[in-house]
Amino acid sequence: MQAEARPTATPALPDTRLPLRPLVYVLVGVFMVAAVLYGTLNTGQPPDVVLTIFSTRFLGIFIEAVPFLLLGTLTSGLIEAFIRPDDIVRLLPRNRVLATVVGAFLGIIFPVCECGVVPVVRRLFMKGLPVSVGITFLLAAPFMNPIVFASTYIAFGFSTIFIGRFILTATIAISIGLIFALTARTEEVLQPSSMMAGDGFDLLQPRRSLRQGLAMTITVAVGEFFEMGRYLVIGCLLAACMQTFIPQDALLEVGKNPVASVPVMLAIAFILSVCSTVDSFLALAFTVTFTTGSILAFLSFGPMVDIKSTLMFTGVFRRKTVLYLFLLALLMNLFAGVLINLSMGYF
Amino acid sequence: MEMNAKPVPYWQDWLKTLLLLAMGLYLGILIVTGNLSNYINERFQWLSYVAVLLFLLLGGWSALSLLRQQTTLNYAHARITPAALLLAAIPLLFGLLVPSRPLGVEAVTGGVSLNPVGRAAAAAAYTKPPLERNVLDWLREFAAVPAPAALDNEPVDVIGFVYREPDMTGTQFMLARFTMSCCVADAFAIGMPVEYAAAGELAEGAWVRIRGTLRAGLFEGQMVPIIQPQQVEPVDMPANPYLYS
Repeated sequence: MQAEARPTATPALPDTRLPLRPLVYVLVGVFMVAAVLYGTLNTGQPPDVVLTIFSTRFLGIFIEAVPFLLLGTLTSGLIEAFIRPDDIVRLLPRNRVLATVVGAFLGIIFPVCECGVVPVVRRLFMKGLPVSVGITFLLAAPFMNPIVFASTYIAFGFSTIFIGRFILTATIAISIGLIFALTARTEEVLQPSSMMAGDGFDLLQPRRSLRQGLAMTITVAVGEFFEMGRYLVIGCLLAACMQTFIPQDALLEVGKNPVASVPVMLAIAFILSVCSTVDSFLALAFTVTFTTGSILAFLSFGPMVDIKSTLMFTGVFRRKTVLYLFLLALLMNLFAGVLINLSMGYF
Repeated sequence: MEMNAKPVPYWQDWLKTLLLLAMGLYLGILIVTGNLSNYINERFQWLSYVAVLLFLLLGGWSALSLLRQQTTLNYAHARITPAALLLAAIPLLFGLLVPSRPLGVEAVTGGVSLNPVGRAAAAAAYTKPPLERNVLDWLREFAAVPAPAALDNEPVDVIGFVYREPDMTGTQFMLARFTMSCCVADAFAIGMPVEYAAAGELAEGAWVRIRGTLRAGLFEGQMVPIIQPQQVEPVDMPANPYLYS
């Protein structure tokens, strides 16, 4: 289509697989070997029993999460096929601060997960979306969407965690958006390739026919399922390892500490890079042993910033901006998590 | 519309397609055999029906496109490495190679909890007469009554598996169950202490049905509901070994 004729208008996102792959696989490998060694030495169970328990725990998380991954990838496909960037821009208020606030909730109408959101935001920036609005949308949308509401609800019910996740995500995303609204200029924030293209001509793609669109939806969904599915598998493996091999006493020691538990969960969120549609089920594995504040920080921080989204961010923002986004989200969630723990009497 | 420089190898598309179909089939088999309840709460099993449909839709669509020689899977970031495909196959490998079993006594790490768990809190227990209460109901009931002795001498009829804490004497064991609120990720072992002269004859992990009475007593420095059995009989593991909290 138009983009093919003008390849410079929409340069491809950099290939994020290369630096990511070895890192993730090495981490997983080391962790698995260490866990199995530790497990066989400490649990005193025969290997086949340990393997069965591990398999049950792993499959349990995976089976509960996979319907949401499938729904998420299908939605992403639908957006890719049927929604044009100007559809989103048209919905925003003119006032920049108001638009930043609204940006936090745009995901409710355009449900995208943390992976789907990056290309969408980039296209919106090129269409002239204010930076602050895009950043708020980017940070909040992975949670602020019906699919993630549903998975969080199924995992935790309408509880402190659900409500807390909503408030925390909205507050932090809007705060960071406003910080950028007040301090930063567009050209300092964005990669040149993500800024408004001269005429924005390539963005006015003709709408697809229903048949074409549905075909594309499924094609995109299949690709995304494998792209994102591996993070889910790795996440499930690690969570199952932790539950099977690490004694609960050891976890409780860190997990019930109102301060230390928060950075631990933040680190886990960053490393696991699990899709926001399914992270609630992983968080469940920690609810028995970890503080509420740390679980909330995990659920709020993970969808905003993690290994894979950070790599994808570098395709949109200048490196300094990526660093700011990471640090702001990290520090705010750390602060919020510890504050919640201290004010809730360590629970 | 970004196009990939390198086309996706044909075999990789087929492998993806087969993986999708196989996962749909695997989940379908879990549903039909009832083994799905080893993994997730029955309340959420409809989600797996949705997953089966979506897997078959995606897999079926991919197969059709491939058969019609339209390698449309080659869109956007659809190109992935063989290693990533292998990762995606891991759930299937575990599902097919490791026998499907619910969590049992071997999965108890760090002891059994004597406190009720779950978000439903204590409220639900009140509607049940004593003989219909399970281990979780009893713990909730016990946590909800104002004085520990309030339930003394109530009749007990419960099923669970035998678990021994390291510091238990030869005449004590724990009647334990795994609770689950969503899936095995949040599975948690709970239990009630039992004082039984012939406790030593019971194998660790064996399922038993105990009829007797309740007595509040101290265990590990905590007031807990202790079962005084009149009859302990071995039973088969229930079709659904988890208690849903």
